Amino acid sequence: MKVSKNELMASLKKAFEGLGFQPGDYYNAADMVVWLETHGFDGFDRLQAALAYLNTTAPIHADLVQEDAHNSVLDGRGTSILLCGSEAVDLIRSQVMQGSGAGLELINCYNRTFVIQRLVKAAQRNLAFVAYWRQFDYCVKVSIEAGAELPEYETFTIIEAVEPQSLRIFCGTDLAVIEKQYAVQLEFGTLVETYSSAEMLACYRDSVEQGIEIDEALWQTLDDLVARILVESTESSRAGAGD
Amino acid sequence: MHNRTHKIDNSDGLTPLPMRPASQVMQLERLGSFHQSRLSFMRTLVRRMVVENWQVSSSVFDLDEQGYGTVVYQIEAKYGTFSYVLFSHYLDPENRNDRVIADQWDLTMALCEGTVDTEQLDFLRNNVPKQEAGRVDSRVLVLSRANRSARTFEYVINELASGRQPNVDVIAEVGYLYRTTAAYGSGKLGMADWEKVRTKHRDFGRPFAAEMFTCYMLRHFSMQQADYLAAQRAPKSAVSLHEDIKRYIGIGNSTGLGMAPFLINHPLLINQWIEMRETALATVVAASESGVDEATLARLDAATQRVIQHLGEIVTADERQNNANLLLREELQLLHLWLEEQGAVLASNHYVWASLTQYAEQHWHIETQEVINTLLIELYPELVDGLEEQMGVDESHQITPEMPVAELLEIIEDKYEWALAIDFSKYESMGAFWYRSQEKMEPRLGQTNIDMGMEKEMPLAVGRRVRECYDQIDSYNQARGQQNVAHFIMQNPTYSGIVARIQTMAQSHYGDIRENLVHADVLPIHLLRCKLSFFGVSKFDPRSRLWVRNTMFQGAPLISDFGKPFVDDWQFPIKPVLASR
Repeated sequence: MKVSKNELMASLKKAFEGLGFQPGDYYNAADMVVWLETHGFDGFDRLQAALAYLNTTAPIHADLVQEDAHNSVLDGRGTSILLCGSEAVDLIRSQVMQGSGAGLELINCYNRTFVIQRLVKAAQRNLAFVAYWRQFDYCVKVSIEAGAELPEYETFTIIEAVEPQSLRIFCGTDLAVIEKQYAVQLEFGTLVETYSSAEMLACYRDSVEQGIEIDEALWQTLDDLVARILVESTESSRAGAGD
Repeated sequence: MHNRTHKIDNSDGLTPLPMRPASQVMQLERLGSFHQSRLSFMRTLVRRMVVENWQVSSSVFDLDEQGYGTVVYQIEAKYGTFSYVLFSHYLDPENRNDRVIADQWDLTMALCEGTVDTEQLDFLRNNVPKQEAGRVDSRVLVLSRANRSARTFEYVINELASGRQPNVDVIAEVGYLYRTTAAYGSGKLGMADWEKVRTKHRDFGRPFAAEMFTCYMLRHFSMQQADYLAAQRAPKSAVSLHEDIKRYIGIGNSTGLGMAPFLINHPLLINQWIEMRETALATVVAASESGVDEATLARLDAATQRVIQHLGEIVTADERQNNANLLLREELQLLHLWLEEQGAVLASNHYVWASLTQYAEQHWHIETQEVINTLLIELYPELVDGLEEQMGVDESHQITPEMPVAELLEIIEDKYEWALAIDFSKYESMGAFWYRSQEKMEPRLGQTNIDMGMEKEMPLAVGRRVRECYDQIDSYNQARGQQNVAHFIMQNPTYSGIVARIQTMAQSHYGDIRENLVHADVLPIHLLRCKLSFFGVSKFDPRSRLWVRNTMFQGAPLISDFGKPFVDDWQFPIKPVLASR
């Protein structure tokens, strides 16, 4: 079946609310899923993977475990980027505004691809980002120019050990400056694949024009989560509103 | 009690009024007193259709002798082609229900892009009548439904079949033949996403333009069906509805709590609408800087008299609304007398509109003030109409993480002082709560500690959420000192949503609605009326504090008026006077 972006957002927000997410979190989480799916990043598959965890626990956010003026370490405590991605990106943004570029490491977190949407959104505030994480035997690198609406997405072979469930983010006002400032950390192996911004844009335009294809079973899963926030209807609750 | 010759003193040369402050405008009672204006979506749409001469024809008109069947209208707008597909069904009057939880209707319809072929028509036939229980696709822009008026539908057809025009007084009691209970757009139920409508279909690229058009076409069909059925019943004697009566027929609307959360969940959009309306008002007030010509004063006086008559023709069983209308008429009568007596003097006075609005604020009720504001906006279309292109806005909220928490506290103290002034320890301050029902997720209002569902409360109590956030930030600031918002959110992640809202709305001109929306005595009808005024409805007929009937497009030009010389002056419609035969 097909759904529109609006309809998907509305359903996801309520579904995440049904999982115990608070107003800011459920909006951001829905944003992340919709963006990934409409830009060709298999948002629904990643959502399914996240739901397997999110359905087992109350929402958990990251802890700030180490920090100086321009670097910080967060411990995701096994949570999903759907919950801790926003706060991580907001933290690094605040550090950049105080001066030079900043770096952040988020350990023990899952569903890291969702962070792309947070970086894209933050880039609209004229900030540039580079993020990377290990995905199976590859390293994913995402970079976005300040003010750009779409990132560059590349996968590389791994040349140095990277913590399996960690995510590194670097932020500044200029992408070239970030790449230079953190050149040592941003050394990767051979380029394996690029997913171009042109492909992302084509995917997005098709989503807007035709709607978004969603598996009916997943849609039902979302409906079941939404049902958690609905209140049983009674005769007295119907009263006064139109009868 | 004001005597006939009461004067309004503006001899001191008042300076132009600035934009009205949020503390005045964003009070719920004032928002609920708004009337439609030139910037209302129906007014904007009609201007476009008439001036751009949209062409409407019926490619399918397949109704049986009782008026049931299928109709397809093809519309050639300025930039695109659209199809309006309508299904007319038999509905047992026992099952006629205006609630959003209804599952059967007299009419169901869809506005579609482009032309509709047989295959698509079959698809629509299988899904449109089901409304929320069906699914459509991204070729559909709007889905809607309507029910017949039990009071006027058969009456009008019988009169026409008898060779007579219906009595205008009977029409005036209701104002429509059909009543719509919902118009879904913006991507619901598989429809085209708002972004698609906005970017691909320029004819409907303004907020709610497609939904308003759907209601306009329903109006057109309602009268075409009435003529058709009269002719079916009495081919030899039936007459068609007189054009002046047709213009006086609108579409009824029934709006309940389902609309209320929109105003809370879209604060940037509501701010934008209100800001444009207030900009229009401030512009118009400033336009009287060097005086106002007598012709303009005469137009205002004529408009005032028309509103007085319009109000006198409203039929409502709601005592509060009746009393409000009576009071409004009395005060507008004083305005009329003042204009009549002082016209020549006023024409040479500087800032006469500033004097008028200030006098109204000091001496007349809120609803009178807002009618006057609406009438003033009408006087200067050349200054106001351009604002209709600025009714949309980017609605994203974003945290400003580098902001010091001390600064955030100051923002709350400045922009949300109304929330901080509420004593939430009192029962009545939290005496209500909003929740979503299992029945079609219909929003409802419950009583705290009486109705069930409190644990699933919708986060619409913005004032209370701001208060809680303020207290938490204050404690954090006192304990940690000199931290920024990012660090506060790290420690208190559940506040990220309200912090984003506060920081975002602080940059808007009018901000949030300044009301405790979970007070035991909250009047949601004010929220409904506010939004409906931007839609452009008239003749509010409250049925409770939770829902209101109203009329859309009454007085509006007909399709046959498109492309002809047009006086954009159909607001506050009054009963037509037909030439006697």
